[in-house]
Amino acid sequence: MFNLLRMDLYRLRRSRSVYVCFGLLLAASVVVFVMLWLLAAPQGQENALRIGLLTKDELETSRSILDGVDVLELFRQTALDGGMYNVTMGICIMLFVCEDYQGGFIKNIMAFHEKRYLYVGSKVVTVGILNAVFLAGHFAFTLLLNLMFKDMVPWTDIQDVMFYLAWAWLLTTAFGALEIFVCICTRSVAAGSLAAVLLGGGVVVMMLYGLLNTFHAGGWLNYTIYLSFSTGPSRYTSVQDLRTFAVGAGFLILYTAAAGISLKKQDI
Amino acid sequence: MDTGKQRTFAVETVRLTKTYGGKTAVNQLQMQVQEGAIYGFIGKNGAGKSTALKMIGGLVHPTKGEVRVFGKPVSQGVIRRRMGVLIEAAGLYQNMTARQNVMMKARCMGLSDERSVDQVLALTGLSDTGKKKVRNFSMGMKQRLGAALALVGNPDLLILDEPINGLDPEGIRQMRQLMLQLRDQGKTILISSHILGELSKISTHYGIIKDGELIEQISQEELNEKCQDYFQVEVENVQRALPAIQEAYTDVQIEVFDSRTIRVYGLKETAGLNGVLAKKQIPVYACGVHSMDLEEYFFDRMEGGSRHV
Repeated sequence: MFNLLRMDLYRLRRSRSVYVCFGLLLAASVVVFVMLWLLAAPQGQENALRIGLLTKDELETSRSILDGVDVLELFRQTALDGGMYNVTMGICIMLFVCEDYQGGFIKNIMAFHEKRYLYVGSKVVTVGILNAVFLAGHFAFTLLLNLMFKDMVPWTDIQDVMFYLAWAWLLTTAFGALEIFVCICTRSVAAGSLAAVLLGGGVVVMMLYGLLNTFHAGGWLNYTIYLSFSTGPSRYTSVQDLRTFAVGAGFLILYTAAAGISLKKQDI
Repeated sequence: MDTGKQRTFAVETVRLTKTYGGKTAVNQLQMQVQEGAIYGFIGKNGAGKSTALKMIGGLVHPTKGEVRVFGKPVSQGVIRRRMGVLIEAAGLYQNMTARQNVMMKARCMGLSDERSVDQVLALTGLSDTGKKKVRNFSMGMKQRLGAALALVGNPDLLILDEPINGLDPEGIRQMRQLMLQLRDQGKTILISSHILGELSKISTHYGIIKDGELIEQISQEELNEKCQDYFQVEVENVQRALPAIQEAYTDVQIEVFDSRTIRVYGLKETAGLNGVLAKKQIPVYACGVHSMDLEEYFFDRMEGGSRHV
């Protein structure tokens, strides 16, 4: 698997879509910071009043937007809780995996590697590495923006940041495994894109949530990847807070195994 | 050659069968490719060539049967290392250069020496493509790059499915020279192509597949024997001409090709035959010596075999 991983990382570094997707995430953060600065920062509000974005009556309410929000909370709400990160990452993974099938390079790989689950393993590890880089880079960029906007929101303890990023990494990698599974099963860019948007954006989970809630069973969906992002803890307080790790690890194993079995049964 | 020892083939399939939803694409294929041979695999579109080659290359799971490469099951990793595969369109990353594509294959195989990458690029004439992306390559360049990928790791067996598709005459000549060069290095090549004339220039053995079944395996020598020269005569009335020829020439083979055409094999002296027909007052429209080539032989076999009298 190490050889396949080397191959995947070689291509990942040369893949333009990776940089485009990361750029989109960073651009979204910039937009959020500018909007918040206009709405909540005193200097920004002056500008907002001048351009007619706010009225004098709205100033006080608008300032309270950032009450109780620290830099980690802002990062969560900007990127992960709403599903934007997963949609972007899902599309990035889809492009990466489907290119193997569309270009036909998968034939070169599978003609050499008889153990097909190694291919899935390599892809999941690659996604794990990509997620680690994206999450760390994105969070660092958020810190930088906060510094540039003169500490618009208070800083967060490093332990809390590490705790959050650890489970967020596990969940995003589990979602990556799901996207790999979909791409391997369907070999289709359209299906991969649809999965990234519908699953990453939470459309499927929220529809199911609505449906199951009519039977008072919607609580089960708190254990899905999508809802774990918004319900997961920002800091460690008790063993209960480790639930998101269990959810992430469980889905990561499940989807990796499903992708491996699917690929093993396929003809290339 | 029977030395008493069991012969090891580069490729041997045992009752290899592939069924897709009740339709049999390959049926009980019993193929033997000798080491060092260039084995031309011939068949019409949809005959099952690509499916058979994919099974041999380990890309498709057989429904039944077994593939043995150098005497061992194709599922073994050590065997995969000895095979290079180019099946259907070359599998390439369009946004990468030729060198980056070959580097990808080298990394996939765990090769760390970049000289082997440069060697295969030089061998396939792609050394000077520089930073040009594959999406801007011509069809021929893509095919050559596909061959380059198959050659990474210096495999002993090459499985090439339609490698000369889309190549210009110069590209075909280069590919032919490459095949012959590789054969001289002792490599075994299993190649399918629709361009039978080209295949006949390089192949040492042939396998003909029809409707998923291997109907014949033949060496070049055997083919030469079967594809002997013949004298073809077009007459007004075959019914009258045939007994006349049979009566005059008892030691030849005679084939009625169609309602006007007779082919005579093994005829040493051709002028006399015209005389025989003239004496019987049978009008002759055309006559001449012909050679049967691989293409004719192939079509003959596709139509159900020879119609020798």
